[in-house]
Amino acid sequence: MTFSPELEARFARLIENYPPGRQKGALIPMLLYAQDEIGSVTPELLAEVAKRLHVKQVEIEEVLGYYTMLTREPRGKHHIQVCTNVSCMLTGGEELYAHACKKLGIGNRQKTADGQFSLEEVECIGACSWAPAMLVNYDFHFNMTPEKLDSLIDSLRKMQ
Amino acid sequence: MADPITLTIDGKQVNVPAGTLVIEAAKQVGIEIPAFCYYEGFSLQAACRMCLVEVEKMPKLQPSCTLPAAEGMVIHTESPKVVDARKGMLEFLLTNHPLDCPVCDKGGECELQDMTFRYGAGESRFVEIKHHVDEKQWSPAVYYDAARCILCYRCIRVCDEGLGVGALGLTYRGVGAEITPSHGDHLECDECGWCIDVCPVGALTSGTYRYKSRPWEMNYAGTICTHCGDGCKTTLSVRNGEVIRANNRDRSGINDEFLCVKGRFGFDFVHSPERLQSPLMRRNGKLEPVSWSEAIGLVSDKFLEVAARGGSFGVIGSTRATNEESYFLQKFARQGLETNNIDHHRSGDVATLLDALSGKTKALATVNDLYTAKAALVVGADLAQQHPLLAYQLRANWRHHQSSTYVVSEGPVREDQYAAKSVRAAAGAELAALEGLREDLKKHGDLVILFGASVKGDAVRSLVAFGDSLGIPVTYVCLVDYSNSRGAMDMGVLPDLAPGYKAVDKPGMNIDEMLTSPTLDVLWVVGANPLEHTQLKNEKAFVVVQELFLTETAQRADVVFPAASAYEKSGTVTNVCGEVQRLKAGPKVMGAKPDLEIMGLLAKQMGLNLGIWTPDKVFEEIRRSVRGYNVALPVIATGGAAPTMPVNGRIPVSPRPDLIRPSGDTLFTSGTLGRYSRMLNKVMEAPGQLYKP
Amino acid sequence: MGIENLWESMPKINEILSGAAAIAKGMTVTIKEMMNPVITDDYPDAPPVFQERYRGLHVLQRDENGLEKCVACFLCSAACPVQCIYIEAADNTDQLRISGGERYASVYNIDYSRCIFCGYCVEACPTDAITHGHGFELASFNTSTLIYRKEKLLAPLPEGTTGALKLDHPVAVGDAGH
Repeated sequence: MTFSPELEARFARLIENYPPGRQKGALIPMLLYAQDEIGSVTPELLAEVAKRLHVKQVEIEEVLGYYTMLTREPRGKHHIQVCTNVSCMLTGGEELYAHACKKLGIGNRQKTADGQFSLEEVECIGACSWAPAMLVNYDFHFNMTPEKLDSLIDSLRKMQ
Repeated sequence: MADPITLTIDGKQVNVPAGTLVIEAAKQVGIEIPAFCYYEGFSLQAACRMCLVEVEKMPKLQPSCTLPAAEGMVIHTESPKVVDARKGMLEFLLTNHPLDCPVCDKGGECELQDMTFRYGAGESRFVEIKHHVDEKQWSPAVYYDAARCILCYRCIRVCDEGLGVGALGLTYRGVGAEITPSHGDHLECDECGWCIDVCPVGALTSGTYRYKSRPWEMNYAGTICTHCGDGCKTTLSVRNGEVIRANNRDRSGINDEFLCVKGRFGFDFVHSPERLQSPLMRRNGKLEPVSWSEAIGLVSDKFLEVAARGGSFGVIGSTRATNEESYFLQKFARQGLETNNIDHHRSGDVATLLDALSGKTKALATVNDLYTAKAALVVGADLAQQHPLLAYQLRANWRHHQSSTYVVSEGPVREDQYAAKSVRAAAGAELAALEGLREDLKKHGDLVILFGASVKGDAVRSLVAFGDSLGIPVTYVCLVDYSNSRGAMDMGVLPDLAPGYKAVDKPGMNIDEMLTSPTLDVLWVVGANPLEHTQLKNEKAFVVVQELFLTETAQRADVVFPAASAYEKSGTVTNVCGEVQRLKAGPKVMGAKPDLEIMGLLAKQMGLNLGIWTPDKVFEEIRRSVRGYNVALPVIATGGAAPTMPVNGRIPVSPRPDLIRPSGDTLFTSGTLGRYSRMLNKVMEAPGQLYKP
Repeated sequence: MGIENLWESMPKINEILSGAAAIAKGMTVTIKEMMNPVITDDYPDAPPVFQERYRGLHVLQRDENGLEKCVACFLCSAACPVQCIYIEAADNTDQLRISGGERYASVYNIDYSRCIFCGYCVEACPTDAITHGHGFELASFNTSTLIYRKEKLLAPLPEGTTGALKLDHPVAVGDAGH
C-alpha cells in the first residue's frame, strides 16, 4: 500500500520519535493521519500499519474498537460531531443533536445518501466555555443554536 | 533475591522472598484469596478486582495479585470491608452475565459459580435488561459467548505470552467490550484450545466437549498423549466408556497445563467409526471378520510351519506401542521366532548420540531442563510444528528466566520471535552455521542442544564435539517424532541392537531389506504402516498386522488383529527426552485388544514360554534387564516422569542415516492417528499461519 | 342343683344392659359411616383418584408453544440417588428448535426398575421440565420394558403446535453487537 509523499514523510518522523522497540506508540497518530488521507481504516491500511510497526493485526483491532474517532466505514465529506456531554447538555446540546438528526435525516454514526454529511454524537470536545459546541471535521463551531446549525448546514451544502 | 521478608496475613506470620505477591504469600499459609484474572505464570492484570485485600495503613483496598509483599505488612483478607467489596465485585460481574448455568458447559466447574456460591451476591440490585450478544463459532474447536465473558484477559495472555500466537484481542469498551479473534469473525491460530481451559466462566467453550456432559458425570484417566514424542500428560474425561474431553487442569505431569491441538482435540480417533473391532482374515482374496480363536490359531499354525522349515520372518515394531509391548515383541522375535529381523520406523539418531555421549553423565536434558537452562540451541527443527511442548518450555524459560535461545533452521520458525540469534541454513548444512554462534554460546552458564532428524550419523558426533569444545555444561535432546519412538529404540526393536543398546550376535534385516527381500515368508507388523507408499517385494509373503484401522498395510494383510490405542491400555512410554511415564487406560472400544495381549495369546497358542504378559510383569523385567530403565517406581506410579539413566558406555552402533526418516508431521497432523481424527481434519481446513507477525 | 345356684348362674341384669349398649354404640358408627360418602376407590373398575402431590410416573413438560422445557442440563441425573436418569444433549439449530434453551435432550431415559420416586429430580430441575405425573401402572413381566424413553415421557402437545419450531430464518434474540 502506498501513501502520499507528505504522509510518508510524516510517518518517518513519527516512528523516529519513539525509542527502538517502542515504535508501537506511533500507532494511533499513524492510523489517524492515514484515515484522513484514505477516508477510513481499510483492511489494507490495517495490514500495512501492522507490518510497519511490527504489531499484530489484532492489536490494531483493539485500538480501532476502543477509539471512536477511528472508523472502518468512510464518513461523509462533512463529518458533524455534536457534543452532548455535561456542559453542552445543560446548554442545549441534546436539542441541537436532535435537530441535526432531523435536519439531515440520519442518526448517530450514519451518513446521508449523497455522502455529503455524516453525524456523530460525541463526548466532551473541550469547548465547555462556549457550549453548546460542535465540530465539522476539524473545525469548531461555538455557542450553537438550531438556527445557526441550519444555516451552517445550508452553507456547507452550497459549497459543493 | 533480597532477604526474606515477614508479613502478617490474617494473623498468621509468613516468610517469603522479596518480590513475592501477596496473593502468593497467602497461599503459603493456606489462605485462598479469590481471583479471576490472576493466573500463575502469566503477566499481571488486576482487571477483575476480586482479590482486593485490606492492608493496614493503606487508605484503600489493594489488589493482592499485583501487590508485592513488604516487610511488616499486616493484611486482612476476610475483614468486613473486603467481604463487602467482593460481594460488590460479584454483583458487577453478574450484571450482564446471563446466568444460564443449566445450559452452560462450565456449570459445575465454573469459577464464577463457585465464588458466587461462596461469597454471596445472590441478589442483584440491577433491574436493567441484560446486554445480550449471540454466541459465535470462531473455529471448529472454539466457541465464544460474549455475554458470559467477564473480561479477565486470561485467554489473551495464554495465547500471546504462553504460545506466542497472540490470536486474541479485546475490542470495544464498556458494556460492549468483548474478546475478538485474529481474523475478524474467525480464528486462525494453533487451535490449541488452552483459552478454553483457562476461561474461568463458560465464555469460551470447546467444539468437541460442547453440551456432551457435566464434570461430575465423567471418570478421569490421567494418561500420556499419544500424538508426538513430547509425552504430555493429558487427563481424559470419559463418559460411558467414551472420551469426550482431554485437558490437564490439575497441572500434573511435565507439561503443566499445556497441550497442543492434538492433545486437546485429537483424541477422537479412538471412537472413529473406522476402528477395527474384530479380527479379519483373508478368504478368497477378501478380508472377512473371524473370531479371535480362529485368527490366533491360523497365525500360530503359520508361524510354527514357517519356523519348522527354517523360513524367514520379518517383524516391524511400532513407534506408538508401549515399552512393554516393544520389549515383548523383540523377545518374541528373538526367542520365539529366533530371528533378528526386527526394526521400526526410525525418526532420530538416538543410538549415535548415546554412543557419542559415552563416558559422560547427566548429558541428556529432561523436559524440565528446557525451562531452567540458561540457554538453548535448536538445530534443524521446527519446534512449534513438531514438538509443541518443547517450544512452549523454551518460550516459558525466556519469559520467566530471560534465557537465550539460538536457532539454526532452514526456514522461519516461531522461536525467531524471541531468539537471541536465528541463523538460516539448509538441511544437512546446519553444523557449518554453528561456528558463527560459538562465541555467543560460550557466554552462557549452561546449554541445551536440541537437534532434529537432519543431524544424523557422523553429524551427531560432530555436534557433540562442538558442544564439548564450548567449555560449558551441555545437555542434549535428540528429537524423535512419535510418542514412543525413543522407547522402541531403547527396547531394542532394531536389527543390530538388543534392549539397552546391547550388540546382537548376528544383525538381522532392517526395515528396507525386509520389504524388498524376495524370500521373506512372514511379515509381522505391529502398529505401523510401512506399506503406505511402497509395495512388499515378495507377493507371496504371509502378512500379519496389528492395527487400529484398515491402513494400506492392513489392507495387504492376510490376518489383521484389531489393536487398542494408547488411551485404552496400561503400560509405560518414553518421551523424546528419555523420561518414562505411565499410561492409564481410560475409554474402552469393544473388540480391540492391547498389542501385548495379542502377542501373549499368540505366544500361548504357539506353546512359547515368554513370561507373563501383563504390563506390570513385563515392566518389572524391563527394569531388571534393560540398561538405564531401573527407574524409581514411586515416581512412575504417581504419574510422574522418571528420567532413564543415560547408557554410559560405547554402543556398537552401525549408523544407518538413510533409515532415519522424519515423519514430516505438522502441528495438525499425526500420521495414521491424525487421518482418523475428525477434529484434526476439520481444523486442517484453517491450518493457521504459524509464523505471521 | 339348688335354686341359689341357678340364681347365681343367671346373667346379671346390668351385664345384659351393658351388652346391648355396646352393640348399639357399634351400630351407631356403622350406620353413621353408611350415611357418609365412600372414600375407597373402585380401582381397577374405575380410575383411582390422586392427591395433587402424588409422585407417579414422570412427565416432561412443554411450554405454551409446544417446545420442550428440558434443556438437558443433567441436574436431574446428578440429583438422582439411584442414577436412573440418562441424558444426551444436542444443539438446537437455527433451522430446527426443539427446546426453549440453547440445547435440548436428544436422549432422555428413565429406568423405572431403579426409580424410587423420591422427587429429587423434580426439585433439581431449573426449568420445571420434569414433573411427577399420576401414572403408576408400571408393572411388567419384562424389566427391559421399564426403561422409558423421552417419547414416552413427554407431555402431549398443546393444540395447534408441532413440538418443534422450524424456522427459515435465524432466531433474533436481541439487538446484538455494535
